[in-house]
Amino acid sequence: MSCEVKEKGRVGTINPIFTCQPAGAQFVSIGIKDCIGIVHGGQGCVMFVRLIFSQHYKESFELASSSLHEDGAVFGACGRVEEAVDVLLARYPHVKVIPIITTCSTEIIGDDVDGVIRKLKDELLAEKYPDREVHLIAMHTPSFVGSMISGYDVAVRDVVKHFAKRTTPSEKINLLTGWVNPGDVKELKHLLKEMDIQANVLFEIESFDSPVMPDGSAVSHGNTTIEDLIDTGNAQATFALNRYEGTKAAEYLEKKFKIPAVIGPTPIGIRNTDTFLQNLRKVTGKPIPESLSRERGVAIDALTDLTHMFLADKRVAIYGAADLVIGLAEFCLDLEMKPVLLLLGDDNSKYVDDARIKAIQENVDFDMEIITNADFWELENRIKNEGLELDLILGHSKGRFISIDYNIPMLRVGFPTYDRAGLYRYPTVGYGGAIWLAEQMANLLFADMEHKKNKEWLLNVW
Amino acid sequence: MKSASASAAVVKQKVEAPVHPMDAQIDELTDFIMKNCLWQFHSRSWDRERQNAEILKKTKELLCSEPVDLSTPHDRVYWVDAVCMAEDFRAHYPWINGLSKDEIASVMQGLKDRIDYLTITGSLNEELTDKHY
Amino acid sequence: MPLHEFECSKVIPERKQHAVIKGKGETLADALPQGYLNTIPGSISERGCAYCGAKHVIGTPMKDVIHISHGPVGCTYDTWQTKRYISDNDNFQLKYTYATDVKEKHIVFGAEKLLKQNILEAFKAFPQIKRMTIYQTCATALIGDDINAIAAEVMEELPEVDIFVCNSPGFAGPSQSGGHHKINIAWINQKVGTVEPEITSDYVMNYVGEYNIQGDQEVMTDYFKRMGIQVLSTFTGNGSYDGLRAMHKAQLNVLECARSAEYIANELRVRYDIPRLDIDGFGFKPLADSLRKIGMFFGIEDRAKAIIDEEIARWQPELDWYKERLMGKKVCLWPGGSKLWHWAHCIEEEMGLRVVSVYTKFGHQGDMEKGIARVQEGTLAIDDPNELEGLEALEMLKPDIIFTGKRPGEVAKKVRVPYLNAHAYHNGPYKGFEGWVRFARDIYNAIYSPIHQLSGVDITKDDAPVWNTGFSTSRMLSDSVLSDEVRNSTTLRQYSGGFDSVTKLREREYPTFERKAS
Repeated sequence: MSCEVKEKGRVGTINPIFTCQPAGAQFVSIGIKDCIGIVHGGQGCVMFVRLIFSQHYKESFELASSSLHEDGAVFGACGRVEEAVDVLLARYPHVKVIPIITTCSTEIIGDDVDGVIRKLKDELLAEKYPDREVHLIAMHTPSFVGSMISGYDVAVRDVVKHFAKRTTPSEKINLLTGWVNPGDVKELKHLLKEMDIQANVLFEIESFDSPVMPDGSAVSHGNTTIEDLIDTGNAQATFALNRYEGTKAAEYLEKKFKIPAVIGPTPIGIRNTDTFLQNLRKVTGKPIPESLSRERGVAIDALTDLTHMFLADKRVAIYGAADLVIGLAEFCLDLEMKPVLLLLGDDNSKYVDDARIKAIQENVDFDMEIITNADFWELENRIKNEGLELDLILGHSKGRFISIDYNIPMLRVGFPTYDRAGLYRYPTVGYGGAIWLAEQMANLLFADMEHKKNKEWLLNVW
Repeated sequence: MKSASASAAVVKQKVEAPVHPMDAQIDELTDFIMKNCLWQFHSRSWDRERQNAEILKKTKELLCSEPVDLSTPHDRVYWVDAVCMAEDFRAHYPWINGLSKDEIASVMQGLKDRIDYLTITGSLNEELTDKHY
Repeated sequence: MPLHEFECSKVIPERKQHAVIKGKGETLADALPQGYLNTIPGSISERGCAYCGAKHVIGTPMKDVIHISHGPVGCTYDTWQTKRYISDNDNFQLKYTYATDVKEKHIVFGAEKLLKQNILEAFKAFPQIKRMTIYQTCATALIGDDINAIAAEVMEELPEVDIFVCNSPGFAGPSQSGGHHKINIAWINQKVGTVEPEITSDYVMNYVGEYNIQGDQEVMTDYFKRMGIQVLSTFTGNGSYDGLRAMHKAQLNVLECARSAEYIANELRVRYDIPRLDIDGFGFKPLADSLRKIGMFFGIEDRAKAIIDEEIARWQPELDWYKERLMGKKVCLWPGGSKLWHWAHCIEEEMGLRVVSVYTKFGHQGDMEKGIARVQEGTLAIDDPNELEGLEALEMLKPDIIFTGKRPGEVAKKVRVPYLNAHAYHNGPYKGFEGWVRFARDIYNAIYSPIHQLSGVDITKDDAPVWNTGFSTSRMLSDSVLSDEVRNSTTLRQYSGGFDSVTKLREREYPTFERKAS
């Protein structure tokens, strides 16, 4: 019985699990109200990220490009940023926040984005928009470093660093949700409300799930305001729920304003949600109310119906963002399942020392592998050529053909989940998330039993 | 605002449209070609010149029941467009069936002048003179 | 022809050169929008990059190939699984994509060694695949990796493999169109003429500029095969790498998407003397004419006519059922490039629709010439539109439907305009006679969706409707204004094909025609 943590054995990537840093920064950008980011690079770096957001949310989000072309690649393209900021401000009067997001190309050609921002402040903003509140924020996210996850982490820090101010210390907390779905934000806000805790939520993306209104007026955009962002400097504590998606910002606030940082746990499953609530209680002194105990009980009831009868011993592979994968693996263990393979899709060297991974390594009683810098071939090759047997896969839609070709049921979870309807609407966090996850997994296994005629009669009585 | 993205191309000298006594009929045939055909819109002017000349020549020959040269594969490709077009002209514009050969020849010359004007000499497409494909 | 200036773009006056309204009595010689110019930064244009134009649009539909992008992982990930170009080999090229995963150390010290390792790893993972394409990206172009040299080295070491290199970084040109051009030229320079094909018919053609979206290519090659024509290669949908190396042996190049592939068709004419025939695979009349022309070229017009007669007899009553119900409905025809002219006229003629606007994301002035030539007076034509202009145009034109891409379709949804995916299709294929009916069916289903009716209702208003029934049907909505004669017609009928009209073609047996004595 062992759990090995190792890096993928090949240098190349066959079917990537992750995209690159600018996508993470763009995801941050769309979470902020009155904000349109400018991605400084080729147009594809924006066009395709906007496409994948629209694939996942079935909504369109605004992001601009500096449209780097050949001349800029040769002679430098700072002028493209200047023009982009001007054009954007002139045509979008509501825009107040403009992150300037770099890419591989503009980092390699060495465009001085910070210098451009200083110049724009001195010249364009001062001269042409003197009465307008405009925040230009440099985000350095070269694509050849880290992944979309580190890009998100960097961008949250850059936003907080730009805005956070100590004015009047408050009872509020900062809630850094990490890269989650509208359904998660809704669930987290619900927990806070039950605890009677006010928060600056980074980011308020519940509004990504927007309506079609009769007058055609609705748009999808994040709702974290400049005031919320400034107020992060006044909070009594910062809760960064995902270690790799917000910690940099939490640490900044701790260092700069002595705001205690509570890192993790990703509140997936009963146990992690319990810990999150206990942490909230410790920091704020607010009790955990009876209502949440009841909700927890409903979840326990639902899980009890499923665990030892259906979920126990099911062999699972999980891939995607580290915090999500680890949280799901922990929850699976509580459900008596066997997460035999975890695939973490980037080369972050901190994963091997993650206390959660260490705890898994020390305690699992079955053979398990954790692969860092993983691609989908690490999963497929094991199934196809090395005899890995799985009952279930948990991960995002880009892995869909493994599920289809090897006939293994797969719960779409994480980002993106474009090949299933409306999943962004449901939580994976909190007690509500625990119910959703367990029941989705069970229902997938049930459908699989019926589809394969594999003891499908079992479900006659249950 | 800077206009670095605006065209630096030289504004083309306006060319006068050709005039023909049967312009009303040529209008009809031109409209048909514009809405239904693709052969007149190759990407470079030298190709357009050849396409217009060869296809309209063969169309005229078909309409006048004259022999059509099919000796090369290129001739055949011009010819297939011409056959379809000649049929459509006869079907949609029956007045053409009442014209003499000379009149057809004249209309078709006027048509070629018009198509040359619209697609080449009067065209505002700045890529027509690009030296490469 | 008046240029059209958008309110939202008054602050970027150069945009005025990019839109016109086709004026009464005016011609292409009076006005033409600018095209294929560098995008205005910050304008929120819809354009992609030259890398995606090369790799994603043209390269990847090649089906029996390992497609590697040399760069950081994002270009590969972002473009993967965003298209519907299928293939008859279980979609190998859709399922597998490869990135060399360039990191900071490679940026500093070079990534050629990394590339070579990648190539070897990929061939090892897929030992049955012996063909590869490699695409440069912004990062590896800027650090100056010599991809061609590495490819040559590997081909030397592994004689059974063949590798194509396309140097088309994202910044190479104003849009994806720059990449179309680069890969066309690279292919003919590197690969055409390197394989001698077996000729099995007297009639041999290449099908160029066709990407097998939802099976378009398979529908069209079905017709060609029924005519006894050998399709040597398709550039590139469902096409095989070695087939495309043999393009020089065709007697005819049949060109569909001239926007993305006329370069190679032109080069094949110049270098190998193969004539180019432009066709439309969309619309009954254009398609019938296209098949006839191909038949006439080869001297087998009778075979084309037999197919046309059979297909039209089968599908005309169904197309006409929709035409009666789509009459006068206003369309914004807002695709990427070629469909603005492929569809502009024939959806008006054959479906009764009225095109009120055309636009092109990455087209050139030549595409606008074709598009404007085919639309009616009063139609708004826009080059390289941006987000605000699109919304302003929708507000101004109030179309009943918009044909555009997935993400702009989401914008349209919010302002309550039904959308059909012009790139990937809703329930295609849309080429072929049956496909054209499927397109009409999808348009009908979009416009007459009961949900669309409901979305316009404001229940807070005192005059909000009170429904007489707990439902409506598309038919109740579409047929209320029809004459009894049309409504009760016994000849017209709705689409009667199935969900999948393509897979069955793969099992089809084709007639053998006697070869001419040589």
